Amino acid sequence: MRGSFFALLKKDFRLMVSSKFFLLAIGSLILYSCYINLVYVKVDQEIFPVYLYDPEQVQENISADVISVYSPEELQNACEDGYSIGIDASKGTPRIIIASCGISRLDEMRHSYALSKLSSGNSRKAKIIGPNDKEMKNRREITAEFLFFELAAVGFLGLASMLFKEKQMGVIRVHAVLSVQKGAFILSKLILILFADLLFAALLTLCNLGVSAGVEVLPKVLVQAGILSMIMAMAGFFFSITLPDFKQFSLLYLVLAVFITTPVFLAGQTGVEMSWIKFHPMYHLFAAMKNAYFQAPVKNGFYYAGCLMSIFLLFLLARYGLDREMKREG
Amino acid sequence: MIGVKNLTFSYGKDKQVLHGLNFTVNDGEIFGFLGPNGSGKSTTQKILTGILKGHGGTVSLFGQDITAVRTQDFFQQIGVLFEFPYLYANLSAIDNLKYFSSFYPKEQVQKPEELLERLEFKQDFLKKPVSSYSKGMRQRVSMARALISNPRLLFLDEPISGLDPSGAVLFRKIIQEERKKGTTVFVTTHNMTDADLLCDRVAFISNGNIVALDSPKNLKERNSNRHVTVEYLFQGKQEMRSIEASELAGILPFPYDEIVSIHSQEPTLEDIFIQYTGRGLD
Repeated sequence: MRGSFFALLKKDFRLMVSSKFFLLAIGSLILYSCYINLVYVKVDQEIFPVYLYDPEQVQENISADVISVYSPEELQNACEDGYSIGIDASKGTPRIIIASCGISRLDEMRHSYALSKLSSGNSRKAKIIGPNDKEMKNRREITAEFLFFELAAVGFLGLASMLFKEKQMGVIRVHAVLSVQKGAFILSKLILILFADLLFAALLTLCNLGVSAGVEVLPKVLVQAGILSMIMAMAGFFFSITLPDFKQFSLLYLVLAVFITTPVFLAGQTGVEMSWIKFHPMYHLFAAMKNAYFQAPVKNGFYYAGCLMSIFLLFLLARYGLDREMKREG
Repeated sequence: MIGVKNLTFSYGKDKQVLHGLNFTVNDGEIFGFLGPNGSGKSTTQKILTGILKGHGGTVSLFGQDITAVRTQDFFQQIGVLFEFPYLYANLSAIDNLKYFSSFYPKEQVQKPEELLERLEFKQDFLKKPVSSYSKGMRQRVSMARALISNPRLLFLDEPISGLDPSGAVLFRKIIQEERKKGTTVFVTTHNMTDADLLCDRVAFISNGNIVALDSPKNLKERNSNRHVTVEYLFQGKQEMRSIEASELAGILPFPYDEIVSIHSQEPTLEDIFIQYTGRGLD
């Protein structure tokens, strides 16, 4: 029994190698790490430019970085981008002019920021709370996001590409007349994908957070990476065993990317407000991953129970799909 | 070895494909199961190999009901050759056989190299990936996969398909050798020559019913009109006449100068199949 399982593992490992799975993973690791270390940590968005129209020079203690304009038209034009803020002080009392960026909370922040610029003495450096400076915060944030999207795609597509190869070769049907358990056939693939994903998660974390910070968060990150990897791999198994060809699978993947991953990205990464996002299961996985990178693990038992239940249900579905494929006509 | 009583099977509620099959296969027998596409051959084989469940009637293998024998031990006693050579294209012949043999006890397994040599597999392709093999070579590796565990019961689906004439002769020889070793062979085919040359008994299946079951010889004898065709020369002209075979024992009932040839008018298995079912095998 143990020998048979080892044979399944060995065969699946060779299939993974031949489908260039590891090559793709290494390529992604290099690409993400280069982007994080060479580009992202150096990116610092310019704070909202503030323009002031004050023909009578009424405002006296204005901040040095406020830009003066000399006509109402010039002020209007400067504020049209939805980012810059204008202050019209031509009638004595300053009036804030902003083109809404679409997010009410951000508009309010821009409003307050512009007002604060009218008194130069208020400028204070923000106090850093906790162990993260701005660069480390950025590193943790972007690494969590890359890992989430990589695992969501790789677990799903990686297993599917292996399985489609086996379907195409017809060998799945041969396993129907061998003394091999269907569960073992699924588990061997799952273990390999899980191992590859965990290795990827560890390397990505260490490369981008540094050894010390990386080792610190690794246990929590690996738990979340393991959960996500298993869910995505099981889903990939079920859909690839059920759908007749890779074209249909690619179409489904597109649909999933649009309807599942995009809202999670928008809710987690931008200020777009979606009250329903808390009902989106992937959002909780995404949040858990991010929290793991900030040493704030999920302590909600329902989350883990939900994950375990999903993995179990997906395993049953995968088993059902495999059984159906084995009975199919050649 | 195999006992089938009143076997029925339906895909869904309205699609009954087997309508009460009855047959037995004896130990060490080569049994042919002949029928056109869609007649129920594959379904029967899938039930016998434990792939399909939910049949009606009783099916026993190795003296036990199939629902009881469908265990690890059962799969270790059977070998199955599928119609198409299903192999891992990225692995070599040797690696494929080593992989598939890992699901059987070590003492039961044959050496892949020896088996492939017996199947006249080209030695320089042993370690090359299956993707570089011809159809005939793939079929040889598939046959080796079916035989690697020294099965007691061998299911062969179109074993000769994709082989050149010398390959076909070799496969027939190997099947006969397996039978001599005591293996029971269940052959599913619509190739009449194979069935005629290989099988001890054949069953004709049409629309989910067995319409005839006997040895090829008996079937042909039973359905023969016992006539022969005689070609002869008479007064410089070649002529042909059909007579009863028994008439050959005496003086021929027509004048001739020279006999050119005598042809038996014994029907082929295909003729008999058409006679029973009203349709051909292709």
